[in-house]
Amino acid sequence: MIRHTVLFTGYELKKSFSNPIWPLFGMIQPVLYLLMFAPLLKTMTPGGTTTDALRMFTPAAMMMIAVFGSLFSGFGLIAELRNGSLERYAVSPAWRPAIVLGRVAKDMVVLVCQAILVLVVAMAMGVRIGAVELVLVLLLMAATGLFASGLSQGLALTVRDENGMSQTLNLFMLPIMLLAGLFVPISFAPDWMKTLAPVNPLYHAVEAGRALFAGRLSDSSIPVAFGLFLVLAVLTTIWSMRSLRRIAG
Amino acid sequence: MIIQADDLRKSFTTKSRKGTQTVEAVRGVGLEVEKGEIFGVLGPNGAGKTTTIRMLSTLIAPDAGTAVIAGHDLLKHPAAVRRNLGYVSQAGGVEDTTSARAQVVMAARIHDVADPKQAAAEVLERFDLTEMADRPGRTLSGGQKRRVAIAIGLVHSPPLLFLDEPTTGLDPQNRANLWERIRQLREAGTSVLLSTHYLDEADALCDRLMIVDHGEVVAEGTPGDLKRQVSGDVITLRADDLEKAAGTLKPLAREIRVDEDVLRVYVDDGEHTLPALLRALEGQGVGLSSIALDRSTLDDVFLAKTGRTLRDAGAES
Repeated sequence: MIRHTVLFTGYELKKSFSNPIWPLFGMIQPVLYLLMFAPLLKTMTPGGTTTDALRMFTPAAMMMIAVFGSLFSGFGLIAELRNGSLERYAVSPAWRPAIVLGRVAKDMVVLVCQAILVLVVAMAMGVRIGAVELVLVLLLMAATGLFASGLSQGLALTVRDENGMSQTLNLFMLPIMLLAGLFVPISFAPDWMKTLAPVNPLYHAVEAGRALFAGRLSDSSIPVAFGLFLVLAVLTTIWSMRSLRRIAG
Repeated sequence: MIIQADDLRKSFTTKSRKGTQTVEAVRGVGLEVEKGEIFGVLGPNGAGKTTTIRMLSTLIAPDAGTAVIAGHDLLKHPAAVRRNLGYVSQAGGVEDTTSARAQVVMAARIHDVADPKQAAAEVLERFDLTEMADRPGRTLSGGQKRRVAIAIGLVHSPPLLFLDEPTTGLDPQNRANLWERIRQLREAGTSVLLSTHYLDEADALCDRLMIVDHGEVVAEGTPGDLKRQVSGDVITLRADDLEKAAGTLKPLAREIRVDEDVLRVYVDDGEHTLPALLRALEGQGVGLSSIALDRSTLDDVFLAKTGRTLRDAGAES
């Protein structure tokens, strides 16, 4: 079981890095966000320095990469559904969940690389974070990514159509992004949005991330976010594995 | 016996706005394939060939029926069945961005082949793919992709290989090339179950075959046996009055069929019947516009069993 998962993870990673341009583009994007969005945000942040803005925005950027980077990884699965390779793996003696878990694990590896890059840039720009907080932020990001990747694989295997998949993702992306306070903290939002925000799981991840970057280790948002995303990650991963079973008896 | 299947059934339910529809894709198919044999499933599109192969390869569970494949029960021990299979689907399963070699090596690893790289190199060499083995899948031609697909299916040397429509979409040269490679599998002792809607393919490749239509087996045997059942030769003619021609020729033929604007006359010995047939038609004043003599083909078998030609049946679906 573990051997097959490792096998598929390695295979997927090799596939991703066979043309290193694309993963590189994926990694540059969050850095661009930091470089171009943080100065914009500065004018809106109480206090008003770039470091303050970054302390606000870096955790948001990390959760954003975790969710939106991984949400798109299911597209690869649709291509494989179409070219028949998924069917071929389903007939092989491979432990079937490994086919999906390998992809999820690959997304996690890519995510860690991106996270480290973002942290390096943020630190170069003056953000400081304690060691414990750093580890917790990375773990929280991984849990968020795991949830999004599982969701994406499950969605791909259910929708089975690139067009439908991209429309579905687009539909959910904007509300999830705004209601999480990714770009503009939710405290600026009108009351009805404030009431609605806690329904959005990403809101809790961003809140917890901000608490960690602010060094508030005892903030109640942290255990809430961890609990929530562990449960969600387990649920979406199970769903994605079950969806695979549906395509192959 | 590498495959013994009895009374396999599968129906699919599709739900749409128009309501629920149930399609009986396979209605009681049984088949037996001997070790080392190339067994064909011939039939028009939509006859249930792919569904049958997907059931036998553990991809979908049959609604009813049993099968023992390579000594393992399909329903009770699907994992054991999978270890003994090579499976090449209609789509092929060659990935676009990865090299052929990486895909073959991966397949070997999944099957616990002792030396995956060596096994991959050997099977790629066997299919003349060494030169393009390191190019990404999308850059390969249709024929090369097919060969990669089969190489992936064979890297673990399975005793049984499933080929679903292996030559669909290939040009004649690539088809002939692939036929030759499939024949070589038989020499290597690999049993092959292949599906096809090409008559010439079934005729040229298969030791035995079954003809399926609407999810049922309509005939089974060696290509030679099946053709002998319909009789040896077929004379196809076009005339101004087909009814009259049919009436005139009845005593000379084993069977006569009017098929739109042509008359098919089945006879045992075409060369010797032809002069008598021409004399009889002339005597009755039937005007001929064309006449042809052919050995009967599997299409004639299909026609005799289903009342349609394979070409017509293909056009229906």
